[in-house]
Amino acid sequence: MKRPIRPAAALSLAAALALAACSKPEPPAIGFAPYDKGYQTKMDLAQVDYKYPIPPAELAKITPDYLAKLDQEQLDQIYARLPAGPIPDGAFDGRILLPRGDSGKFRLAEVVGGFTGTLLHLKGLLVEDIGEALWRGKVFYRDERVLRNRIEDLSVLKKAGLVEGEPTKMQYGGKETWLLFPAKLYCGQSLLDARRESIVIDYFFTDEIPGYQESPDFLAGRRGFKVRDEIRMIRPGLYLGRAYLDRAFALNFVLHDKATDDRLREEFVKSGGKAQEDCWPGTQARTVAMAKP
Amino acid sequence: MKRMLLAAIAAIVTLAIVLGPSQQPGPNAGQAYAQAAPAAVAPAGKPMPETSIVDQDAPYFEACAREGLNESECVGRLIWYKATGGNERFHTYTFQQRIGVLVDWFRVLRADHRDAPFWAWGLINDPSCCKPGDPDCPAKSPEETYGFDWCPGDDVLLKYVGKNGYVDPACGLKDAALDPDDPHSQGGKVDQRASPCDLRFGTSTGALGIRKFPNPRFDAAKWQALNGGKADWSGFNATKAAATGIESDSRVSKLADASVEPPFLIGTTCGSCHIAFDPLNPPADPAHPKWENIKGLIGNQYTRMSELLGSGMPKSALEYQMFAHARPGVTDTSAISHDQINNPGTINALFNVAQRPVFKGEKITKWRKVNTCGAEKDEGKCWCEPGANGKCWQMSTRDDDTTTVFLGGQKVALPGVHHILKGGEDSTGAHEAIQRVYFNIGSCAEQCWVNHFSDMRQVDPEQRGFGQTPFNVGQCRRDCPSFRAVEDRLQNILDFFASAESDQTDLAVARANEKKAKNPAATYTLADLGADLDKEFGKGAVSRGQAVFAENCARCHSSVPESTGGPFANRDFAAPNEAHPRKVRADFLSNEQSTPVTEVGTFRCRSLHSNHRAGHLYMEYASDSMRLRPPVADIPERPELKDGGRGYYRNISLVNVWATAPFMHNNAIGPEICGKPANKDNDFHRARYVGADGKLLASQPDCLRYDPTVDGRFELYKRSMHELLNPKERGVKRTLTNADLIVDLGVRKLDGKTEKPALSVGPFTDFMQLRIPAGSSAGFLNGLQHKLLVDDLFLAKRDPAHLEAAGKQALVPTLQKMADELLAKPVRFVEVMQANRDFLSAHYQTCTQEIENEGHRFGEDLSAADKKALTAFLATL
Repeated sequence: MKRPIRPAAALSLAAALALAACSKPEPPAIGFAPYDKGYQTKMDLAQVDYKYPIPPAELAKITPDYLAKLDQEQLDQIYARLPAGPIPDGAFDGRILLPRGDSGKFRLAEVVGGFTGTLLHLKGLLVEDIGEALWRGKVFYRDERVLRNRIEDLSVLKKAGLVEGEPTKMQYGGKETWLLFPAKLYCGQSLLDARRESIVIDYFFTDEIPGYQESPDFLAGRRGFKVRDEIRMIRPGLYLGRAYLDRAFALNFVLHDKATDDRLREEFVKSGGKAQEDCWPGTQARTVAMAKP
Repeated sequence: MKRMLLAAIAAIVTLAIVLGPSQQPGPNAGQAYAQAAPAAVAPAGKPMPETSIVDQDAPYFEACAREGLNESECVGRLIWYKATGGNERFHTYTFQQRIGVLVDWFRVLRADHRDAPFWAWGLINDPSCCKPGDPDCPAKSPEETYGFDWCPGDDVLLKYVGKNGYVDPACGLKDAALDPDDPHSQGGKVDQRASPCDLRFGTSTGALGIRKFPNPRFDAAKWQALNGGKADWSGFNATKAAATGIESDSRVSKLADASVEPPFLIGTTCGSCHIAFDPLNPPADPAHPKWENIKGLIGNQYTRMSELLGSGMPKSALEYQMFAHARPGVTDTSAISHDQINNPGTINALFNVAQRPVFKGEKITKWRKVNTCGAEKDEGKCWCEPGANGKCWQMSTRDDDTTTVFLGGQKVALPGVHHILKGGEDSTGAHEAIQRVYFNIGSCAEQCWVNHFSDMRQVDPEQRGFGQTPFNVGQCRRDCPSFRAVEDRLQNILDFFASAESDQTDLAVARANEKKAKNPAATYTLADLGADLDKEFGKGAVSRGQAVFAENCARCHSSVPESTGGPFANRDFAAPNEAHPRKVRADFLSNEQSTPVTEVGTFRCRSLHSNHRAGHLYMEYASDSMRLRPPVADIPERPELKDGGRGYYRNISLVNVWATAPFMHNNAIGPEICGKPANKDNDFHRARYVGADGKLLASQPDCLRYDPTVDGRFELYKRSMHELLNPKERGVKRTLTNADLIVDLGVRKLDGKTEKPALSVGPFTDFMQLRIPAGSSAGFLNGLQHKLLVDDLFLAKRDPAHLEAAGKQALVPTLQKMADELLAKPVRFVEVMQANRDFLSAHYQTCTQEIENEGHRFGEDLSAADKKALTAFLATL
C-alpha cells in the first residue's frame, strides 16, 4: 500500500525539483538544417552557415553536456559555423564525444572504418577506454606552438607494455598528471570544412618535439595511430574538436577552460561574438550572416 | 541542331554590318599598352601595387602589339596567363592537407636547375626571369630569392615575405572598356566589376603559369634552422629517414609537416597547362625560349602536371601510383576532384576558336545575368550582389542561349553553345566553361568545392564526404571574391580565345618562317608545301589525300555538313572564311558532335567521366541536354557506370593536326614521347608496351624526345599517323605501376632503428605494411570502388539480407569468403585482392578497359598509298 505524501514532504520535493530546474543550464536555441541519413541529404556547410547562423548568446549557452547529446550531423553543422578563434594557451579539460551508429556502438567500428579503426579494438585499447579512462585534456603551449595531452592513468598502456620509464608530470587542479603525446600546433586545413582554417593539433612529427618519449608517445605519431586533431572555438575557453586517425574521421571532443570561459563569456556575447582570430577566416561573410534573424 | 560557323558568322557579321550601328574596331590596344606606362591611375581608396624596377606586364603588352590584339583581347590574355584566381592557398595548403598530396615546389622550380624544368616537367621557362647571380640579374644570390628565379616584380614581392601588406599586381590591372550590352553595366555607364585584386597575379616563379605570393606567416629564423640557409629547401623537402634512420621514414617527407610555413605561396594559372610553344616560331632552345616563341591557347603537349602535383610524394605512395601516370600533355582533371575513374585527357588545343561549331536549342539550367530580381526573394532563384546596383543573376532553364564573341571589333552572336570537354561536358556556355577552368586549377577551392569532394577515407555512407555532392555556383559567387573577379572579365578571356593568338598555325607558314629566319628574302607557299609533300608521300598525294579525307573522314571531321556545304567530294576544306577578320579556315575540321565510344573504340574510361552527372561535383556545368543523351548500350560496364549522358566522345578538330601529335584524347596513339632530363630522378617516362600476357615487354621502343621544332612536330605527326592508320603496328599500351606501392600500416614500435608490431596479437601479427608489387594495373587501382567494396564486405558478414535486397545475392558468398580471409589474416590483403581480381573487376571497377591505344581503326583498310596520301593532305590543314 502506498503511503500518502505529506504536505511538508511534497513541499520539500517541489522545492528540490525547482532548485534542480534552476541550476540546470538553459539549452541553447540552435537551429539545424534538415537532413536525413544519406550523405546526399546534408546541406552544404556554406549554406548551413549562411542560413542558420548561431547568435553569440546561444553559443554562450553551449555546454559539453549539450554537445554530448547531439548526433554527428548536428556536431558537424555546429563545427562548420564556428571560427577557429585564437590558438589557446594553457590547460583545458577534455571530453570525448563519440559518434554512435544505429546500434549504439562506436560507429567507426560499425562501418569497418579502415585498418586503423579495426586496430583500435585490439588488446583492450578501445578508444573509449583510452579516452574516458585515461585522457583528461590538453595543455596548449601557444608561444611554442606545441600541445601535450593530460593523462592521469597510465595503467592500461603500461599493462600493454607501451610505457617505458617515467613520463613528465605536472600539477593540474590539485592533481598530478602526466603530459604525454606532444603535438604540433598550427593553423591549418579542416578536413571537414575547407571554408576557413581550424587550429590543427598534429602528432605526425611528434618525435621532433622537446620532451618526446618514444613509449608511449609513438602511439599518436606516424608509426602509431597518426592522430590529427582540429578544433574551432565555440567561445573563448570552449572549443569543439574533431580527431582523425590517418586522416579518417574518428571522434569529436570538447575542450574547456572554465576559468577563461567564466571570465570572457559575458564580454563575448556583448561584443557580438568577437574574438581574436589567429587563422585564415575565409571569405564567406560570417558577420553578415550572424546579423540575420 | 548543330550549326556550322561559316554560315553563322558570315550571316551575322553581314547583318550586323548592314543593320547594326557602326562600330569601328578599337585601337590596337597592344600598341597603346606597349607605349604607355603600365600602372593604371588608382581610384581613391583602391589599393595599388608598388612599382617594380622591371615591369612584369611589358612583355605581355608587347605580345598584344605583335599579334594585333585589341584592348579586351589583351586584358583577357593577361588574365589567362597570370591570374591564379586566388588558388595559392590551394596549392600550398589545401591540396597537401586536405587531399593529402604533397608538391615539392622547390624541386620543380629551383633556379639552379633552370635548364631542367622543360625536360623534366614540360614547364616553359619565363623569358623575363633570371637565375640569381647571373649577369644583369637583379638578384645577386639565391639567398635573396629563397632559391627561386628572380622575376619582374620580385623587388617588391620579396620585401613582403614574412609580412603583411603586399598589394597584388593584379590590383593595377587596367580593365577593358565596358560592354554596353552587359546587363550589369547599365548601358556601359557603370563599372561594377569586382576588384581585379582578387584575380591574384603575384609574380612569376620562373615557369610560365606558376606564380608566387609572399607568405606573411613565414618565419625566417625557423626556415633557416630547418634548411641551414635560405637558398634551398633541403630541410623541408628531405625525407625523415635522413634524420631518424628508420626505414619507413624514407617514405615520409618533411613537406608533410604543415606547421612549416614556406616563404612563398604558389599558385597556378590556366596558362600552366595551356601555354605552349608556337608551332610557327619554335624556340631555338626549348629550355630557354623567348617571348615570341610562346602562345597561350595551343596547350602544352609536354606538361607533366600529374607528376608535378605529386612531386613531393614517393613513388611508392598510393596517391602517386594512382594519379601520376598520365602521358606528357595529358592530365587527369578529375584526379583532384576524384571520381575514381582513370581518365586522363589532353589539354584541348584551341585553334580558330570562332569557327568552332555551337549547338542550338540545348536545354541549360544556369545562372544568367539580369539587372533586377524584381519581386523574387528566393536567393536560390535570383540574387543581387550586395552593394551593387542591379548586378543580379537569375537561375533559369532555357534553350536559346547564344555565345557572344567579338571578331575584329564586331560583336557576333553565335547561335548556340559549345561542347568543350572530351565527352561534350562543360556545355552550359563558353563563359561558364572558362570559369570552370579556374576551378580546375584550384580557384575558390576552399569556399566552393572542396567540401563537395568524396573523401577517399570516408566509408560511412551516412557521413559527409562519402560521395560527391554538387557545388553551388550561386553560393560560390556569393562567397568567393576571386569567382566574382574572374566572372566579371570572362568576356575578355573569351575575346582572347577568339583572337589572333588562336589562329591556325599551318605547316606551310611554319616552314616559311623557318626559311625566312635563315634568309629574309626566302618564300615558301602552300603550293611549295604541296609539292614537298607530294615528293615525300608520292605523286599527287595531297590531291588524292583530299579525296580520301572527303570519303572517309569528313563526316565527323568537317564542320560544314553536306546539307549546307555541298558534297564533301567537291569541297575545299582549306577555304578561308571570308567574313572572318583574319580569314582563317572556315572549316573547323570537326562537327563537334558526340560519337558513342563503342563506335570510335578508343580508350573508353574518359567517356565514363562522372563529375558532370546530376548530384555530382560539376553538375551545374553540363547541359540538361547532355545528360539526356541515350545510354550507349554496348559499353560493357554496369548500367550505373554509363548513365547520365556518358559514353560519348566529341569528334575533335584536325586543324593543325601536324603540330599536335600524338593522337587521341590520351595521346596514346603514336610514339611515346619523353624529356630525357639529365637528372634521372626527374625522368618520368615509363614503359607502357605490354605483351599478350599484359606484362611489360622486355624490350621497349625508344621514346621520342620532346622536339617542338617544325621538323620535330612533323616527324611525330607522321609516325603517329602511321600508327593510327595501321593499328596492327601500334603495339599494345597499358599503364602499370612503376614501383612497389607501399602503405605503412598499424602501430609500430621501435627496437633501435627497427620497427616491430606493437600490437602483435591474433591476426594482426606482423601486420605493418601493405605492399602491391610494381607492374600492377594503375587503372585498376584508380578505378576500384573501395568504399562500395568495404561496405559490401561488411554487410556480407553482418547483414547479408541487406545485400540480397539490393540485388547482390550472387555476390554474397564471394564477399563472405573474402571477408573471412581478410579478418583471419589481414596481412594477406594483397593476395586476397589478387585472387579475386576478376570478381572485383566485374563488380567494383568503374572502368575495366586497360589497353589505352585501341580503336579509331577508320582508314585501316585503305591502301598503303591512300594512307600516305591522307597523311600528306592532313598536313596541309
